[in-house]
Amino acid sequence: MRAQQPDFAEFYRAAKDECLFAVLMSVGDRDTAQDLVAEAFARAWASWPAVSTHPAPAAWVVRTALNAGVSRWRRRRREVPVPDFAIVADRPAADAAGGGVDPRIMAALSRLPERQRQVVVLRLFLDLDTEGTARALGIAPGTVQAHLGRAMASLRGELIPIWQEESRK
Amino acid sequence: MNDDELITVLREQRGKVVMTIPVEQIISRGRTVRARRRVPVVASAVGVAAAAAAVAAGVALPVGHPAVRPSGAGAPAASDSASPPSVRLAAWTVTRQADGSIKVTFRQVSDPAGLQQTLRADGVPASVTFTGQQNTACQPYHVSASQAFWPYGSRPGPLDGSAFINHPEGAYTTPYAFVINPSALPSGVGLQIWTSGTSGAADNFQLHVTLVKTSPQCTGSTSS
Repeated sequence: MRAQQPDFAEFYRAAKDECLFAVLMSVGDRDTAQDLVAEAFARAWASWPAVSTHPAPAAWVVRTALNAGVSRWRRRRREVPVPDFAIVADRPAADAAGGGVDPRIMAALSRLPERQRQVVVLRLFLDLDTEGTARALGIAPGTVQAHLGRAMASLRGELIPIWQEESRK
Repeated sequence: MNDDELITVLREQRGKVVMTIPVEQIISRGRTVRARRRVPVVASAVGVAAAAAAVAAGVALPVGHPAVRPSGAGAPAASDSASPPSVRLAAWTVTRQADGSIKVTFRQVSDPAGLQQTLRADGVPASVTFTGQQNTACQPYHVSASQAFWPYGSRPGPLDGSAFINHPEGAYTTPYAFVINPSALPSGVGLQIWTSGTSGAADNFQLHVTLVKTSPQCTGSTSS
């Protein structure tokens, strides 16, 4: 196990930011996203012999983080109101995302159905191919393409008018 | 703007967030996650910290564990039909394996009297209490972890926690188990199985397995 820890550290350094970004794009709150990703990486470390042989370890981390987020939400939903993504996205960008992530993109992603958002996160932000995305989500490759097509149409319809308006100013 | 340009804009957002938690903190948390799954990890820590102390294996019981009731206090709810013989309750299972070892699997800590009776009937002097306290009549048998637990010592030792090693992801919902090798128990030595922490607070108590000297008040006998 000790001999594998340097590999894990290398993986963590290489993948942590993109995993955080992917989860942030899905859950919409930086602190929550970082907590979930940290926990997912910790689980990855605990199961590193298995995770290190996964075809897409970063996807494993992201999916684990998102699953943990769902579990956390289910545990707390009767006690704590779920943050409204739109409110989060309306915060100053640096506050909402801990960096310069465009809040309008986050808001647009938040309005996608969950499965479409997961496909966008894995396919576009983690650069998984269609097959890899399908395996990670346990769905058919054709379903991935269908979800991605619908998601792109929604994002286009929401974001492009905003950007066009900005360019005219 | 076509799809490719939109994808480019979306991907440009990457790199604008930075995970600030150092890897050491992740690994530290990972150790906690792993320790909750595996007895040997905890046993090792105990052994290193107190080489001459009695060996105790502790493991946190699962959060939100389903409240499965044994169907009868001390009475088997169902017996494994296969030979070798075993006694199976909803809360725990005691199975005699082909090599003569005895595997104890926990799903819930209840019916301590039934477990104690079952182990004693299988030739393992045992004291079982799930009250949050040890049986005060039991005297620890001092041995290092490496002498008691495989894989930290040479096999076969009296206790084998390796059943924990291969727990899959989601181990919090899988039962905990350990294996007793009665033939490797030194003469006059038995087991004390007990819980610490708050019974009923599933996230905050541990299951311990300790080697003890046999006595009528502790293990019900004076020899193993």
